[in-house]
Amino acid sequence: MGLGRFMVRRLALSLLVLAGLSILIFLIARVVPGDPARLALGPRAPEWAVQSLREEMNLDKPLHVQYYLWLRGLLRGDLGKSLLTRRPVMDDIKEFLPATCEIVLFSALVMAVGGILLGVLSASYPNSWFDNVVRVVAYLGIVTPSFVWAVIFVLIFGYIWPILPVIGRLEMTVEAPPVFTGFLLLDSLIFGKYEAFWDGLRHLILPSVALALGGMAQAARITRSSLMENMGKDYALAQVAYGIPWRVTLGKYLLKPSLIPTVSVMALDIAALFANAFLVELVFNYPGISGYGIRAMLNKDVNAISGVIMVMGVIFTGVNIIVDLVVAYLDPRVRLVGGSQSG
Amino acid sequence: MRGGVIAKALAVAVLLAFMGGTLTGCRPPAAEPEPQAEIKPEDRILRVDSDWPTYIDPAVGNDFSDSIALVNLYDTLVFPNFDGSVRPHLATDWEVSPDGRKYTFYLRQGVKFHNGDELTAEDVEFSMKRLLTIGEGFAYLFESVTDVKAVDKYTVEFTLKEPFGPFVRALVRLYILNKDQVLAHIKPGPYGEMGDYGKEWLLTNDAGSGPYKVKEMKMEEYLLAEKFDDWWGGWDKDAPFYLKLIATPDPVTIRTLMARREHELTSEMLPEENLKALDEMEGIDTAGYFDGVNLNIMLHTRKPPTDCIHFRRALAYCLDYETVATKIWPDAVQARGPVPHNLPGHNPNVYQFKQDLEKAMEELKKSKYYGQLEKYPVTLSWCAEVPLEEKLALLFQANAAEIGIKVEVTKKPFGAMIADAQSPETTPNASIIFVAPHYAEAGSMLKSRYHSSTCGSWEQCEWLQNEEIDSMIEEALRTLDEKKRFELYYKIQEKIVELCPTIWVLDRFEKRAYQAGYVYWPAAEEVKAGKAILPIMGYGQYAHDFRVYPEKRMELLKTK
Repeated sequence: MGLGRFMVRRLALSLLVLAGLSILIFLIARVVPGDPARLALGPRAPEWAVQSLREEMNLDKPLHVQYYLWLRGLLRGDLGKSLLTRRPVMDDIKEFLPATCEIVLFSALVMAVGGILLGVLSASYPNSWFDNVVRVVAYLGIVTPSFVWAVIFVLIFGYIWPILPVIGRLEMTVEAPPVFTGFLLLDSLIFGKYEAFWDGLRHLILPSVALALGGMAQAARITRSSLMENMGKDYALAQVAYGIPWRVTLGKYLLKPSLIPTVSVMALDIAALFANAFLVELVFNYPGISGYGIRAMLNKDVNAISGVIMVMGVIFTGVNIIVDLVVAYLDPRVRLVGGSQSG
Repeated sequence: MRGGVIAKALAVAVLLAFMGGTLTGCRPPAAEPEPQAEIKPEDRILRVDSDWPTYIDPAVGNDFSDSIALVNLYDTLVFPNFDGSVRPHLATDWEVSPDGRKYTFYLRQGVKFHNGDELTAEDVEFSMKRLLTIGEGFAYLFESVTDVKAVDKYTVEFTLKEPFGPFVRALVRLYILNKDQVLAHIKPGPYGEMGDYGKEWLLTNDAGSGPYKVKEMKMEEYLLAEKFDDWWGGWDKDAPFYLKLIATPDPVTIRTLMARREHELTSEMLPEENLKALDEMEGIDTAGYFDGVNLNIMLHTRKPPTDCIHFRRALAYCLDYETVATKIWPDAVQARGPVPHNLPGHNPNVYQFKQDLEKAMEELKKSKYYGQLEKYPVTLSWCAEVPLEEKLALLFQANAAEIGIKVEVTKKPFGAMIADAQSPETTPNASIIFVAPHYAEAGSMLKSRYHSSTCGSWEQCEWLQNEEIDSMIEEALRTLDEKKRFELYYKIQEKIVELCPTIWVLDRFEKRAYQAGYVYWPAAEEVKAGKAILPIMGYGQYAHDFRVYPEKRMELLKTK
């Protein structure tokens, strides 16, 4: 079964998932008690103003009509107006999503490099002092929520050894680059604002590492156990017996199959970083999409809730597809089984 | 062979660590000033944190952080003194007609807006009309205004449908906008020829004449305002050049920022243990004052079992007020009635409930729900954003259990509590909520808390809907003579206490930590001098009157 057909099936399934998600989130956001228009304008706003807002947001129409109109807007890229920021939700998402994406991408990098590296080292020296230290650190990393790491980092690198910024995206004294992609680092490079790039990078370190530690620890453990399992297989022993250098055996023949479970789990961890980012964003006062989403939920900002969750849904689905591609590349059996059976 | 792989891996790790070291160590952090560095304008900054989001549109904002922003960006006709009275500000003088329905204000000449335009009576007229048309924010304070007219360039006249005694005091909430500037930025919207009345533009821009002007407004992050050099009131050389208002982050972050001297004034919501820890740091003090805010357990008077007055009184006699005011909020005092003790018009003689379980039992026995308490648990919500309220909720639950009343405690985000308050069906039996007056007089509190027009808002979860109270409040607010008005306030307070729709828990002591080593905070200085002050919401953070001394900050950084 070809990779193309496999991907078409995966895409079709993803669209179904997104359609289901859109109905679910639309309904949940609207059945929660409370009149969003009244909440937005305050208890003393005149009724005509509240009614006008209801009409503007289509809240006066039956639920199925509301859904149709919302979906139509969604397909045109119009997610309605946020009651909290009082701007189009799309503008908010454009502003806040890149900020969170930067943290998540940086975290993903730390998670992937750190997790695989530690896993390989642990597997290479099983039950050594190094392996034991990594094991303890990994368990600590897995059981400690990212916001606790965030607080610990603030104390260590903000207070005891104040070498890194602990708040926001950029210092007040640093001139921000013009907004082109919304990604501060990228925009800084595009417009040659190297000071902003440097400062933005420094602001990213603590939140990203705090967010990455749990996933990194998990990746290290999975890589280690998967690698250990493959090391004991006949083909690996045979290669050692034939005198093939260990680094070739490890790098070329063992690592690739051993990374399949790591990649699968890590990809979901990376997607989940968007949700976990909320408390980290709160600790570091980082203006990201997760904090925006939670604030929207607490304030019954129906359009923002629906918009943020749809964006998250698309990201999760997209990451899943990418994972499927990577896993299919790593393991041809997945392509075959995926094409003939599970599709 | 394995050793080679490990060696390479370790080399990569060392390289990464080196890169990390390069990022963190090679340059001093941008915000960490070098002790010998020259003092730059950005060093004269006052950074304050508060609730979020902040709305800087004068016709929209009415919360704590909104008020801090608005009082700094805009000017008002009158300005509040620390004792609750007002003094001339944009208006140099004013007259009231004998029937109390016409107010004439004479404006200061030569006042400039941030864009250089001159402030005139037309701008005042426009600002009031805009506020009343939009109807949000503090508009309700001026609902008695039927007409506003610019008589000449510097004279403006307000006509009221009926007298409103505290009108001049309430004018501290009428922020004057630049009419031409707003009109230049209107977009299509629901307000007829006025379109959106400039609402979209005013979300992130200002059209004011206040001592500070917007430099940058990030809706989810911060407001950065810079000093307006041409402000009519003049400047002290040590006044802050910048005011930065940020969303309150985690308390640990605030503590860290304070320790690094990267934050000057904390919010009033910082937990006590953090304030204590900060107070012990060199150069940081805590200061506070009774800010006219009180904490209430609002009892739903239309829902069983709290619809029974005896049941409500039983609950009021249950609560251990002493523990609340000594252990949970150590600097607060037990409230006496619905109006905080330092708000002008407070009746110091109203009955004050004390914990008395015998009396509680007596009242409970008179209640129609006595004998079937299991069937009628009391539902109680507390605000998730104020962690200390949980202690009060649990204490109340334990106290009520002593006389057999079951209290079901629920933690709710404030947004959910606001939604619940919209209808009598969804409002719980008891809601723990702080309430602030919008101008310095008892009438502000009485109207927002107990007049029927506020039912459905979070400020009145009692659903009192008492016509007699309504007309008493209306009559008091119509009374021009302050002495007579205050006498009427007294009577209203007595009547409300009699009905016991609320358990008035405490009058809040608003406490903040600040950089006493290099910041002069006028309100704190007044308190240190032993004066009782009442800066109403937002005015305690009027940045123009602060002083910042960067050189002292440098000294503190050196000594760390």
